[in-house]
Amino acid sequence: MSTNRIHPEEGPVPTLRILHLYPDLMNIYGDRGNIISLVRRCRWRGIPVKVDGLRPGEDVDFSSYDLFFVGGGQDREQILVCEDLRSRGDELRRAVEGGAALLSICGGYQLLGREFITWKGDVLPGVGLFDVRTEGGEDRYIGNVVIESLLEGVKGSLVGFENHSGRTWLGPEATPLGRVVRGHGNNGQDGTEGCVYKGAVGTYLHGSLLPKNPHLADWLILKALRRRFQVEGLKTLDDDLEWDAHRAAVEKTLGEGKLRSRMASLLRG
Amino acid sequence: MVVAEGKMFLMAMRKALAVAAGKAVMWASRRAGLGAGSNLPGKVAMSILPDLPRRLASSIPGGCVLVSGTNGKTTTANLLAHLFSMEGRRPVHNRVGANLLTGITAAMVEDFDLTGRPRGDLGLFEVDEATLPRAVEMLSPRLVIVTNLYRDQLDRYGELETLASRMRRALAGLDRDSFLLLNADDPLVSTLGEESPARLLYFGLEDRALEGGDLRHAADSKYCRRCGSRLEFRQVYFSHMGDYRCPTCGAGRPSPQISALRVELRGASGSRVLLSLMGEELEVLSPLPGLYNVHNLLAAAGAARLLGVDPGRIPSGIEGYRTVFGRGETFSIGGKRLFLVLSKNPTGFNEVIRTVREEGDSLLLLLALNDRIADGRDVSWIWDVDFEDLAPAARLVVATGTRAEDMALRMKYAGLEPGSILVEGDLKRALLRAVELAGQGETVYALTTYTATLEVRRILSRLGVADEIWRSGKERRG
Repeated sequence: MSTNRIHPEEGPVPTLRILHLYPDLMNIYGDRGNIISLVRRCRWRGIPVKVDGLRPGEDVDFSSYDLFFVGGGQDREQILVCEDLRSRGDELRRAVEGGAALLSICGGYQLLGREFITWKGDVLPGVGLFDVRTEGGEDRYIGNVVIESLLEGVKGSLVGFENHSGRTWLGPEATPLGRVVRGHGNNGQDGTEGCVYKGAVGTYLHGSLLPKNPHLADWLILKALRRRFQVEGLKTLDDDLEWDAHRAAVEKTLGEGKLRSRMASLLRG
Repeated sequence: MVVAEGKMFLMAMRKALAVAAGKAVMWASRRAGLGAGSNLPGKVAMSILPDLPRRLASSIPGGCVLVSGTNGKTTTANLLAHLFSMEGRRPVHNRVGANLLTGITAAMVEDFDLTGRPRGDLGLFEVDEATLPRAVEMLSPRLVIVTNLYRDQLDRYGELETLASRMRRALAGLDRDSFLLLNADDPLVSTLGEESPARLLYFGLEDRALEGGDLRHAADSKYCRRCGSRLEFRQVYFSHMGDYRCPTCGAGRPSPQISALRVELRGASGSRVLLSLMGEELEVLSPLPGLYNVHNLLAAAGAARLLGVDPGRIPSGIEGYRTVFGRGETFSIGGKRLFLVLSKNPTGFNEVIRTVREEGDSLLLLLALNDRIADGRDVSWIWDVDFEDLAPAARLVVATGTRAEDMALRMKYAGLEPGSILVEGDLKRALLRAVELAGQGETVYALTTYTATLEVRRILSRLGVADEIWRSGKERRG
């Protein structure tokens, strides 16, 4: 990566503005780690950053934010925010069309799709940012995941942990985030994981996702900065610990898979 | 008539056989050095007679007491057992901490003779939250204690609301003359008795000077269960524990019959508490560190009182209590000290961090993160722990466990320089390294997840520093 400066010498220091949607409702297992990662990685580069939280019903101007984050929630919480999020659908889509970056995990990802069909058959309309549909499933997909990134500018693997019963299906306009190497991903069948639309990423991976996937964190930061500033690239950071953790997770996950298939073949005789 | 007698005889034989088989497995497992054999004997005995736990429990003269909740089960049950034993009475107790039905059955098998007579006056069992419904149904307890409910291992327990509903339904099946002792400070736990005919009692903190700050992100129950409005907190002690009220429907914290009127925390060495037990005030010097342990103390003292323990003996009983395995034990190793404390979920961890911070600002820490099944295979929860509060107090962190790299990374993002973080996946090597790096007389603070705590304990016992776990009175769960 180039080591170009983020901003012209004489210009004002740009502050990256992050909006964390429903931090106290959609915060299942460690989603906060993604915000921690974004903030630290900006500050280590001398980029000022400000994070605001959004509660349902609060009046906020989405057009002033560069990066949005929605985490996952328990069922009850997800229902509580569903309507509020839908009422902001136009604004959120406009922000992404205008160059803002977005990361949504698990329940947040599902709510940003076209619709969610519960296990009982009720149809809950979503925001429609991603051309995906989610159906409630009977059993849950739980476990470590490794995917191969298909995102331009993010090479190699992405690692995380999934825990979801929803099966998400990509529509004709949808681009997946990656291809499943180990785990279930969107639906356990077509080998896709997540969805990308412009600067917006939806995925089932938590873990937390960004700390162990610094290339994706930087991709989001760069997208977000470019909304308002001329930026060539980001300053390179010392990511030894990040990549150690990434590699350890990949090895562990692939090892689990190997053990499972070895046991399966033993059982088959 | 003859047929009925024959059946009864056969049943008695089967019961004796089940108990004998369980005992044999237990003996063999210890002989073979496999440890306490805490679940297998129960499993074997129940395969011979599936409703053995019901049959055994019903012959314990004083009935059964169950302790459930996310955190504090072991400490509460062990402290209660200690207070109860002080009176010269003896509990049948799953003190080795196996808290599934098989573990409870194993504990009974151990403490019953072959004719089916118990060697104890009271059944005292800590129970896994998800197992509570079956345990209530099988054991017909006379007293159930629920300590707290936090999100813990979603991959194992499912969502908190669902778990609470299941517990609520189970508690509805209690007897009318049984007792239900609930944490008043936990908005979710305090509602668990709503459908229960049992007599409700609450314990809670009543010291208005206590302040834990605002509702942190690790707080789980911030919304009114009845109407969904955001609860108003007049006071927050830690996580979602506090004095709350719903501004919409008026539902609020019940007032506790067992409370701490004044709490003075004294770091790792414990606390001084002014207790109120059904109106009677008692001054207690507790060896248990941290505010979270004051809840455990209240629950145990309240239960002891309900079980007829002389209140005048409760303070000295608590003072003489020795912390159970891995819940804040201190060991000496070659002139250095090791403080070992189980830290298994965000709330528990945050409280441990609060306690450890009072010990100084240049600490040597051993952080062990495992992702085995009993720990929860998903380690994302470490991002919900306030390691940001720990980082400024750390001189050096040795990160270890099956997820050592994740732990190291968490500390880096908490603000610790990578140069102050040492990664050593092998727990034994990490432990020895940390001890070696400590100065003479210095303490290594080991904060460890569930299976890592067991491992550390095993390593220490092999080094001759600690007792065998099953001898010292506490062991595994899963």
